[in-house]
Amino acid sequence: MTRRAVGAGVVSLRKDSERRGPPFERVLVANRGEIALRIIRACHELGSQAVAVYSDADERSRHVRAADQSMRIGPAAPAESYLRVDAIVDAALQSEAQAVHPGYGFLSERAELAEACAEAGLVFVGPGPETLRGLGDKLAARATAAAAGVPIVPGTLEPLAVPGDDEDRLRAEARRIGWPLLIKAAGGGGGRGMRRVDSPTELGAALAAAAREAAAAFGDRAVYLERYVERARHVEVQLLGDGRGEIVALGERDCSVQRRHQKLVEEAPAPGLTADQRSTLHELAMRVARGAGLSNAATAEFLLTPDTDFWFLEVNARLQVEHGVTELVADVDLVHEQLWLAAGRPLSERVRAAAAAAAEPRRHAIEVRVSAEDPAADFAPAPGTIGLWREPGGPGVRLDSGVEEGSPVTTDYDPLLAKLLVSAADRPAALARMRRALAEFEIGGLQTTLSFHRWLLEQPDFVTGEGLATDLVSRSWQPAAVLPPAALRAAELAAKAAAAWSPAPAAGAPASDTHDTAAERWWRQGVAESLERRP
Amino acid sequence: MSERPRLRVTIDGTLPLAIQPAAADVDALPPAGPGESVTELAPSAQDRAHGRRRFEVLVGGWRFEAVVEPAQQAALRERAARAVAGQQAHAAISLRAQIPGRVVRLWVAEGEQVEQGQRLLAIEAMKMENEIRAPQAGVVRDLRVNLEQKVERGDELLSVG
Repeated sequence: MTRRAVGAGVVSLRKDSERRGPPFERVLVANRGEIALRIIRACHELGSQAVAVYSDADERSRHVRAADQSMRIGPAAPAESYLRVDAIVDAALQSEAQAVHPGYGFLSERAELAEACAEAGLVFVGPGPETLRGLGDKLAARATAAAAGVPIVPGTLEPLAVPGDDEDRLRAEARRIGWPLLIKAAGGGGGRGMRRVDSPTELGAALAAAAREAAAAFGDRAVYLERYVERARHVEVQLLGDGRGEIVALGERDCSVQRRHQKLVEEAPAPGLTADQRSTLHELAMRVARGAGLSNAATAEFLLTPDTDFWFLEVNARLQVEHGVTELVADVDLVHEQLWLAAGRPLSERVRAAAAAAAEPRRHAIEVRVSAEDPAADFAPAPGTIGLWREPGGPGVRLDSGVEEGSPVTTDYDPLLAKLLVSAADRPAALARMRRALAEFEIGGLQTTLSFHRWLLEQPDFVTGEGLATDLVSRSWQPAAVLPPAALRAAELAAKAAAAWSPAPAAGAPASDTHDTAAERWWRQGVAESLERRP
Repeated sequence: MSERPRLRVTIDGTLPLAIQPAAADVDALPPAGPGESVTELAPSAQDRAHGRRRFEVLVGGWRFEAVVEPAQQAALRERAARAVAGQQAHAAISLRAQIPGRVVRLWVAEGEQVEQGQRLLAIEAMKMENEIRAPQAGVVRDLRVNLEQKVERGDELLSVG
């Protein structure tokens, strides 16, 4: 993709004060939910108009109302709306937008959208299609990193298909890599097509399952192998590039609190690293970025081993869900910067200064992802309608959400409802602030991950930072230990309410009525008839 | 003060629970504090017919739907259900504590024959007694608790089969 070149060569000497007027008059935001709203806010702050797109399910959602203009792009199913390159480009052309911001997820890392934008004379806010293609191929990214002298997680370097001729080679490679290991989809990410294998006897079945999942999710059954590092942490580096070879690292994030390879909590900086270790990590990330010819914003992900080795995992060539924690620590608005960079401006003085200070951060930020999921049921999606929505506030609290009371939450889309972020002078103060903010946050109508986060903020492994590892959740989350006292208290509060309040008027909408069968469960019969006999 | 009917509160979900507190005990409970909220939900036609009320309760980030009904009515309904279920042979069922607390009553001994619905023991937690009854007819085996013993949620109590 050709970018608007603004006086190539001398450009990098320009000062921030030359950023007059908006980077674009009108920007189409090719996403939904909290990230669409977050990008629309950035557009408005820069003086740009924002165009929203929406599926039939989102017609009345917050991001649509916040935009200056909105365009319907299809039915609720993502494949018929938010994943349609042609519909997005048409909407951008019809609304006379100059640029398309893809957010994260959906089409954000699809080279096809970047290409279609370029062909239509639109600026794609993100890396060029070649870079997206190169980095989207996880194995090519591993090869790029290895070529740049960056350590990668030990494993295979080429895609191998199962079932098929490659199976014998995979078995041989697996023996070489050792146990436990991970099978990963060559074409994907987000935990799909990923399988942990602990012993040779499990390998055959795991390979078949991973290949099936990969084929279903990414249309490609090729997989590769990586060593599984026990007690490893997940750290990642925020990168910005001007597309002319200048690349900076804006600090790192720790995203070790995960379940099924999906992040639940992120923080910046990564706890427990020295300034030298930070510098090393940032330098490794910049090397990968240079090797990949990165422009705009991206994130390089690494494993941090118990021996404090950084092993490259992959690059996400887009804005990350968790970009906010970096913004709070670096005092930089990454979406502003993305738009300026896409408009052909150089990296700003503010960004350079933040990058120069990134190894010795002076603030700490934490984000928790509040999703419509039931932490007591292995984080199963918990769709519904938001009945009650009481947001936390006060000093140092930022809430990025795209929902409100009455918002339907369906299984068509990601269950993420809101990102609650806090920042403070140091990690203990940030933890205290997060505890306080979580206590203020009340969501009704559906189960969310708030209960999990409240538990996590009390766990010594997390609070000290010493137990941070990608298996922290699977190792220690036991909802059975925290749910019963809460249920008992809830029953008491319901009894109190029933005793104190006169019955609700016989109103219209009937509540769900699924309790009869369950109410007959045997042990409920055991509810203290004896209580009646108590003095 | 006139006698208020005792209420039955049932909570469904991953770990179902029921309590049946005396009116005076309910009055003594602390009111909703920070991070706790109660909302009455619209009753269905069936709810209204059975005098049931439905509440959404938020506690510690958890969301519960609680059904509240007169205790006597709930007991009648359950007796009817038990009669329908009849006396069938079942495999042994192991019973675990649903709430942490103290064993305050123990009505049976190892090897004793019990009928379905017969009282086995009661666990007291937070001033509430939770009585545990036989899920089926059978013989009490693997009795692991004594009177006054403290139990954690999930602890095995005994099995019936």
